[in-house]
Amino acid sequence: MSLTATAAAIRAEMVKTIRIYFSYPVIVVFWAIFPVLWVLPFLFQGKALVGSYDSAAFERLTGSGNYMAFILIGAMVSNFVFSGLWGVGNSLREETYWGTMEYIIASPTHPLVVLIGKTLAEAAVTTCIVALQATIISLLPFGISFTVAKVLPVLLLVALLMVGFYGFAIAFAGFTLLIKEAHGWVHTLEWVFFLFSPIRYPVQVNIITEFVSKLIPLTWALVAIRAIILLNQRDVGLWNIVGILLAMDAALLVGGYFTFVALERKTRRDGTVGMH
Amino acid sequence: MTNDGTGQSTADPCHSSLPRRLRHYASAVWAENIKEWKLELTYPLDFLRSLIDPVVYLLPYVFYGIALVGGRFSPNLEKLVGTTDIVSFITIGYVFIGFMNMALWAMGFSLRKEQMYGTLEAVFAAPVPRWIFTMGMSMHSILHQFLMILVQLLFILAVFSLKVNPLGLLPALAMIGLMLIALYGIGMIMASTTLLFKQGWLISEALGSLLMVVTPIAYPLAVLPLFMQKVALAVPTTYGILASRHFLMGEQMGFSVLTAFVRVAVLCIVWVVFGLVVFALIDRYTRRSGTLSHY
Repeated sequence: MSLTATAAAIRAEMVKTIRIYFSYPVIVVFWAIFPVLWVLPFLFQGKALVGSYDSAAFERLTGSGNYMAFILIGAMVSNFVFSGLWGVGNSLREETYWGTMEYIIASPTHPLVVLIGKTLAEAAVTTCIVALQATIISLLPFGISFTVAKVLPVLLLVALLMVGFYGFAIAFAGFTLLIKEAHGWVHTLEWVFFLFSPIRYPVQVNIITEFVSKLIPLTWALVAIRAIILLNQRDVGLWNIVGILLAMDAALLVGGYFTFVALERKTRRDGTVGMH
Repeated sequence: MTNDGTGQSTADPCHSSLPRRLRHYASAVWAENIKEWKLELTYPLDFLRSLIDPVVYLLPYVFYGIALVGGRFSPNLEKLVGTTDIVSFITIGYVFIGFMNMALWAMGFSLRKEQMYGTLEAVFAAPVPRWIFTMGMSMHSILHQFLMILVQLLFILAVFSLKVNPLGLLPALAMIGLMLIALYGIGMIMASTTLLFKQGWLISEALGSLLMVVTPIAYPLAVLPLFMQKVALAVPTTYGILASRHFLMGEQMGFSVLTAFVRVAVLCIVWVVFGLVVFALIDRYTRRSGTLSHY
């Protein structure tokens, strides 16, 4: 396929994915509101265990005792990870259920091109949702404010996080071709990220979670983003973290590509693509 | 009596005596339960994963508590409920709330799953009431949840040495049993709204999220805003969690044990009746509007 035809296929897939997304407008509303609502139990838990909205023990671990702001930033940034998992990683399984998987496989377009279209659509929708959440949160009294000086480096970190993570999600999409019943695995991965990256708690509290978290790009991105937004630290070793994220992105993209291609080839050869 | 097509007459269970009809319903519930187990065990790796999930799910909440307090014991929690051990407090809360998630997800998603498989019409044409189908689903999910709880508890006991009163186990399970009946009513509502809105996961997720906020899983009722405390009192999971912790680790509930049992019994009747009525209404509406097979 020529480059123009590939670009047209990506665009067509993007439009299709966004159309399906907006066929259920309530889903968009759900994703804008509920991730913020999910942090409320953490607020109440903090209030019950500490008795105030500030924790000295939490400050020793993170540099800030404002545990609510910590959780909110984690909730916003992790949206990119989870939308990638559900929207991209689980997408081919959905096509199987819709009965359209065979058409994708039979079309002259490589399934990877279709996945890129889905990835871009997912990234666009998630970015809009997170922007909406950030606006709402900055208006509420949680001690989080966004300025241009803060937002620009954060955007860079989020972009690097997304590139690497969508590479991982593409590999996962290949995995779903193999194992078929991927819904539960997506949930497990979601919880693995909650456990091994500082989305909801500082991973330094346990030696194992601290060690494993260093292998996950989300950890590096969250540490830097929180330092910029929450601690107002301009010098957070930004370029070091950018370098680490770039290296992880390269590994995840290359690894994701080869994993997907290998798994897709295997399922074609085994003749199990259309199986449920 | 009807003719089964082979020339033999068979009794229509829907118009037979009550014991016969109940036996027929029970066998349908059991068949649905077995079908779900067979489907689940078709993916053995996925089944194993589902047993590890609850542990991975629980740990961030426990670690978050430890990070906040700087250790295992919270003097503030003692002031509120009379117990300091946050690990036992949080673990018991999240272990039992698993039943709510199963009720919402397994039952809420059940009809959508059948639709995706292309078997919804066949299920609806079966000679049993539709609520029997969701009850079978519910039976499977309860049994599965017990297995998950077992793994969760074994892990927590091994790693954190959970401190509970073993004598409180039976009354705690009695309360959980009542809570499950009420949750079945909520699950019926979830299953039926799927027929109406199609994207059932969304309704399960939304209601599950709201219940997770108002149910005092990892905090006592007292820390919730007043309006949420009032909502929490209408939710069976509140009594299930509070009473279980009361029996197992001596949490002060703010009301007596008898009050808790009476309130859950009332909630059982209210939610089950409400669930059956909503299910019947929505079922009739989707049949009349011809949208049953819509996606």
